[in-house]
Amino acid sequence: MVIATRAQEGPITGVSHLLDRDKIRPALDLALSEGAQYAELRLVCETTNSASLRDGKLHSAIPGQEVGATLRILADGAWGVHSTTDIASIPDQIASTVRLAKAVASRRSSGDSGVSLAEVPIIEDELHWNTRKDVREIDLETRLEMMGQVHAEANDDDKIISVRCGWSDEHLHHELLTSEGMDRTWSFQRIMTNTMVTARDGDNVVSYRSRTGGEGGLEFIEATDLGDMGRTCRESALRLLSAERAPSGKMTLVADRDLTGVYIHEALGHPCEADLVAAGDSCLEGKLGKKIGSDIVTVIDDPLIRGGYGAYPIDDEGVDTRTKSLIENGVLMDYLNHRETAHKFNLAPNGGARAQDGLHHPLVRMSNTMIMGGNHRDLDELIEDIDHGVFACGSRGGQVDTGRGSFQFAAQEAWLIENGELKNPLKDVSVSGMTLQILKQVDGLTRDAKLAAPGFCGKGQTVPVGDGGPLMRIKDALVG
Amino acid sequence: MNLLPDDALERLMDSARSVAKVCERNSVQQWEVVGEQDYGHSIDLEAGRISLAAGGGSGGLGLRVLEDGRYGYAHIADASGAQRAVKEALSIARKSPSIEGFELPVDSGSAPTAGMIDKRILDMSSEDILQQADEILSSVTELDSRAVVTGGGIGAGAGAQVILNSNGIEDGGIHTSHGFGIQIGIDEDDHLTSAYEGSSSRNRLSDIDQVLERAVYWAQITRNTIDSGEVSDCPVLMTSQGFSPLFSMVVPTALMGERIAQGESFWSKRMGEKVIADHLSIIDDRIMEGGMSSSSRDSEGVLTRRQALVDSGRLQSSLWSTRDACRMMAEGKVEHAQTTGSATRGGYQSPPGVGCGNLLLKSSQKSYSRDSLIEEMDEGYIVHSVMGAHTANPTSGDFSVTTSMILRVEEGEIVGSLKQAGLSGNIGKAMADDLMLGDEVRCRGSYSSGSMYLPDVLLKQGLRVNPA
Repeated sequence: MVIATRAQEGPITGVSHLLDRDKIRPALDLALSEGAQYAELRLVCETTNSASLRDGKLHSAIPGQEVGATLRILADGAWGVHSTTDIASIPDQIASTVRLAKAVASRRSSGDSGVSLAEVPIIEDELHWNTRKDVREIDLETRLEMMGQVHAEANDDDKIISVRCGWSDEHLHHELLTSEGMDRTWSFQRIMTNTMVTARDGDNVVSYRSRTGGEGGLEFIEATDLGDMGRTCRESALRLLSAERAPSGKMTLVADRDLTGVYIHEALGHPCEADLVAAGDSCLEGKLGKKIGSDIVTVIDDPLIRGGYGAYPIDDEGVDTRTKSLIENGVLMDYLNHRETAHKFNLAPNGGARAQDGLHHPLVRMSNTMIMGGNHRDLDELIEDIDHGVFACGSRGGQVDTGRGSFQFAAQEAWLIENGELKNPLKDVSVSGMTLQILKQVDGLTRDAKLAAPGFCGKGQTVPVGDGGPLMRIKDALVG
Repeated sequence: MNLLPDDALERLMDSARSVAKVCERNSVQQWEVVGEQDYGHSIDLEAGRISLAAGGGSGGLGLRVLEDGRYGYAHIADASGAQRAVKEALSIARKSPSIEGFELPVDSGSAPTAGMIDKRILDMSSEDILQQADEILSSVTELDSRAVVTGGGIGAGAGAQVILNSNGIEDGGIHTSHGFGIQIGIDEDDHLTSAYEGSSSRNRLSDIDQVLERAVYWAQITRNTIDSGEVSDCPVLMTSQGFSPLFSMVVPTALMGERIAQGESFWSKRMGEKVIADHLSIIDDRIMEGGMSSSSRDSEGVLTRRQALVDSGRLQSSLWSTRDACRMMAEGKVEHAQTTGSATRGGYQSPPGVGCGNLLLKSSQKSYSRDSLIEEMDEGYIVHSVMGAHTANPTSGDFSVTTSMILRVEEGEIVGSLKQAGLSGNIGKAMADDLMLGDEVRCRGSYSSGSMYLPDVLLKQGLRVNPA
């Protein structure tokens, strides 16, 4: 029974429905009559534009549209999946996909109860997150002009030997129909620009990169000081030319917003994904309700932070998204989940199912993940009592072994801290540790928590994410 | 055939020809159409069981147009969108800078690369893959009753590819693949150890049992943890699996012709000079029989080849596409450059870029078994996997990563495992001298382009180990 309907947020400016309901609904009913417990069809249409400048000249511009759909069928407690770009062929794949699911189920041991799904509101609606300046109406000249602003500032030194600027924007149209009666259509947009600057002095060659972007339209980039982005890249690259190799060993680390974000994404966010917990591949298994971090650590994952690169209104199982409080004052409060893991762990579904595109099935994923602010006023107050440490800035990415609970992330640049003051610039700083140890070693956070630069997260599938927080201090971090 | 429709290649070529006709109707000076259609079965493994079975297919077409040295690109799901794609690509071309001398490649015959298809894979059904998954799960339990497959999967695929252009190139072919990867965990006495291993091939896999044995071995041997030592600059034996991610993140990028010409490579201005140990060569073999990144033509239709990029330690060549070569010459960055058949694509959605195919690291000296390398090392560490290889800096070759798969060696014997350690250094400098290669080469994927065919490498200098 449909228990809720909702009007769209604003007028639809693109296509309305791509799935023919008159063909898909009977196909999903057929799945049930073939013995399925549940069937769904999810379609994603991505209208994309990317462009790049090399040394100020147009290098590539690629318009494209991709449509893919994934049929997911649950039968006898097991999943069968069929993905295709040939949308018209889907009704013909119902029976074989039911058989596939049953073939998986037949291999389950007798004590294995199989997959069940948590109940969620069955909704028929359309929801479109509007932008002030629709990405589909941006012309190439505008993209080039804006990347040109970055290039002009980034290139302004003889030691800068190359500047690469990139651009991507996308309009994402989703439709989901399920055998339970869910019929949801939603859309939103994302936009991003990035730069990589390379500097050379003799045989010494270094690079620095920067990104800005988020959920939204052209207005997001227009609100960014692109000249400042280029200037910052140039100055950082030039500084790296004279930076020293970082010291190795345990010391106090102060992380900027970018690194705080990648730290919490890798060290905590991934182990919080309930599909990894269910697989026995998370160090947070059995830790719900337990103290795993210091009192000042509070962490959220929130797809509803509009403008965050990991924002989305509805998850890929049709569940309304909401703010998830993962850690409150050091206590683990929740896992990120989808309907399967919500049922398994008897948790409320929290809208964490995301698929890379229409051709992939949903996994449990992060969205916009942040550590909340603390009590320190600013960087000066955070470092004033550090005798020996490192202030690390800008992310080169990170990785985690969720089972062992070990993680690593790398900084783009850093400074040595001595006697409460920033000293020499450093390069090649990476930080590693064990999640359950280092969350307890966070002993300082500045007040202002914000999302940092946009990112991408890989877990077999790649999805856009946002992460961030305040400036963060960790004692006894392993700096490599 | 179970996996690929019998007429998949013909249908794809017909679609590409339809797009080509639209180009001709629009009087496009030069055009290139590529098409891809892939099919596959896959099984996901999780928590010691099969969690999901999937199948399906996807594909599309890419279009590159060229007018007076200016190019534009667009991609479409099928030929029905050709008119729109041609207009979009032409519109972009007319806003692009003209590159003097840039023209699409001309056909110069072709010779098919051997070993790209295994008919046994084409005949595989989803039930065949399910049975293989069953065997993996039971084999792991037989190897060690404590071991559980916590994640991973197995799959088989087949694909058709075509390329045609206005200069006479018209070619296509099909390829097969079979691959699997598993994460194994042993969780006992509140101590979890894990290991990841995998394998992929153009042929039906024949090494599944050996790969499973390796995974279980590493999950077992890392359980014997010892006290951490001090930070030290010391010899490190990187297994093929540990070395490949770092090598692939840095070396293919450093060998791109455009980056060398622009000064963006740590090997810029070093052409003809010794850049690594003089017994080493780095070879890009895109025509290797059965190579995971082999093809008879590159992504813009140029015939591929085997080329020594670094020969006996000296930088001899670099990777070029048609466009990059023309652009660097037109901008005066190099006196002469021409395509080396090294164009690559990230699929039909992307215009050609540049990258390696099958990248091999070889030594003219004797190669050694792993046991011999451990004995030779005497004191140091063995590293089997690293976390954060993608954070290595391809511009400088610097890296600083973490490993939980690290064994301490004393007096030529493995004495135990560290729980965690940092590993840092510079790939170029570590390979500059004083290193030895193992005798068993394995194929690995890449963080940048192509496939890596690397042995174990004993690096005696330039690495720092920072135990946690």
